Amino acid sequence: MRAIDVHAHLTPQCFWQATRDGGSWHGLRREQDARGREVLVSGDERGQLPPRASWTPEQRLADMDSLGVDIHVVSPYAGFYNYHLDAAVAVVTSRESNDEIAGMIQSWPDRFAGLATLPMQDVDATVAELERVMVNLGFKGAMIDDKVNGKLLDEPEFLPFWKAAEQLGALILFHQGGDTVVSPRIRRYHLPNSIGNLADRTLTFASLVFGGVMDACPDLKVCFSHGGGYACYGVGRMDRNWRSMSAEERRNPEAPSAYLKRFYYDSIVYTEAALRFLIDTAGIDRVFFGTDWPYDMAQDWPVSWVLSLESLTQDEKEAILWKNMERLLDL
Amino acid sequence: MRKIDVHSHYIPRSVIQAQDQEQDWYGLTYSAAPSPGFDDPSGRRVAINSPKLRFTPEERIADMDASGTDIQLVSIHTPYFGYSWDPAQTTQMAREVNDEISALVRQHPDKFAGMAALPVQDVDAAIEELERAVNTLGLKGAELDAAINDENWDEPRFLPLFKAAESLDAFLFFHPQPQDNIVATARTRKYSMPNSIGVPLEDAMIVATLIFGGILEECPNLKACVAHGGGPACFGMGRLDHGWMVRSEARVNIQRPPSSYQKQLYYDFLTNSEPALRFLIDSVGADRVVIGSDWPFVEWNPSPGGWLEGLQSLSQDEKEKIAYRNLEQLLGI
Repeated sequence: MRAIDVHAHLTPQCFWQATRDGGSWHGLRREQDARGREVLVSGDERGQLPPRASWTPEQRLADMDSLGVDIHVVSPYAGFYNYHLDAAVAVVTSRESNDEIAGMIQSWPDRFAGLATLPMQDVDATVAELERVMVNLGFKGAMIDDKVNGKLLDEPEFLPFWKAAEQLGALILFHQGGDTVVSPRIRRYHLPNSIGNLADRTLTFASLVFGGVMDACPDLKVCFSHGGGYACYGVGRMDRNWRSMSAEERRNPEAPSAYLKRFYYDSIVYTEAALRFLIDTAGIDRVFFGTDWPYDMAQDWPVSWVLSLESLTQDEKEAILWKNMERLLDL
Repeated sequence: MRKIDVHSHYIPRSVIQAQDQEQDWYGLTYSAAPSPGFDDPSGRRVAINSPKLRFTPEERIADMDASGTDIQLVSIHTPYFGYSWDPAQTTQMAREVNDEISALVRQHPDKFAGMAALPVQDVDAAIEELERAVNTLGLKGAELDAAINDENWDEPRFLPLFKAAESLDAFLFFHPQPQDNIVATARTRKYSMPNSIGVPLEDAMIVATLIFGGILEECPNLKACVAHGGGPACFGMGRLDHGWMVRSEARVNIQRPPSSYQKQLYYDFLTNSEPALRFLIDSVGADRVVIGSDWPFVEWNPSPGGWLEGLQSLSQDEKEKIAYRNLEQLLGI
């Protein structure tokens, strides 16, 4: 039995070192709040950095051993997308962050694989960086936000990115950064995260399907973190609206529900009933083990959680924990 | 099997008359182009976009008979809520509309029950009108939007309204207003996503706000139903529970996990798929799910009740509860 985690973040050591003693990492700083907790300061935005975010690779490996996780498919911290900054800054922070992940893969090839961060506000630079990490650094793909400065990813300007990802065989993991669609309505009760993340993923699913990206790129590999949000549960209403569209309005030849099996999803949905529903609608070969390490929204003992689920067969548990990713990502 | 429909929209006759006579209606300005309709003070356009909304009561009953619906709980079509207007004007409108719905119910007591419109931006006026609607007009309760202009239902100023509804034994039906309050439109208006994703997202936020805001804790006997099956709230409840567990700001009003409150609400069955409805029933119980057809906006095949009766994964007992028994017991219909 193995366990491969597709949803495990890295706040790179280059950031921690550069921001020591009040320093800046390409304009990003950190400070401590009244209780001594680390806070990222990026322009006007602030993000909490959990205790484990500063851990070295050695400390991370010890934690992985404790959790029973063999491989982290390491993705960058979503606070470092930097899409809202000057593209030149995002190019540099992406490269440094990706290079650090590359170093981890080199040092521990059996324990780490990589998903890059990309300067998505500059599509040419994004394609160049994706080529670099895939061809030169042996990455498995990249993690991107649900929106780039207000734009969804089905805008025509992003098509060269999707074509490049398809051609390079890169897995694109969607993960929100900053505000979600819920934030303007309510900021209380953690709802921008606990509902907003799921809503954002659902909008991304719909935009890629209705926007024709999945038809333009039939071999594209896209994984939605947080189980794809509400996509599999709420697709019936999308089907209903698709059926009421005129032929000219429709860009996708099949109903949205037919596209559920075109995507991958991580397993962090918290309840057995929701995971069972996801498996039954998207297919067992479409679900990857993912934990959201090292954040508080991660489950305490995620491997054991999957193993304990009574409604899953042993084959299904193995498919989720490692076999699907072993096959798709050659791990 | 009887069929009682909780989710059935109603356009006041005065709206239709105003449109036919090309006149303004309360705060809404009539204009003929691009198609006859009204603009609200903020410039949003409201049009009567289904011919069935112009039906007379007799035509509506004939339509119900044809689709096997015995009773509709009618409520004002949500673009006409009027929360953004001058409160005095909304109060006047609500009184007129509630009188009209009450007359409809008195005329056809075996076919209709009614829910009131309320001027909720003025909480005192809303409570007064809810009392009148329930005690004098014989309505079952009121219909409410997902949010009130820039506020959510967890603002403390709205708690007296929920307390009043609880003590009046009034039924509240929450339904998001597509024109004004869809937060998803800030992200996108493409591909009908505000409707297909944005509306159920509003429903889920209603469920979350009633739970996390402590309204269901403060009003344990409140009778409230959320449209469209409460959106994906039940499917995402695990994440809400986890957020409650790890974040102190999620626990300010409730000392129990959010999932422990979800069976206090009712949900209509408008989930758009049998597996989703099955998931909802398994999450909240068959005694918390009722028929909601979204009349006249959804084309049911063959009919709302016929769809329910044809579902393979529901027992006969579950179907009867959803079709009529739950609302029969809850509202004495």
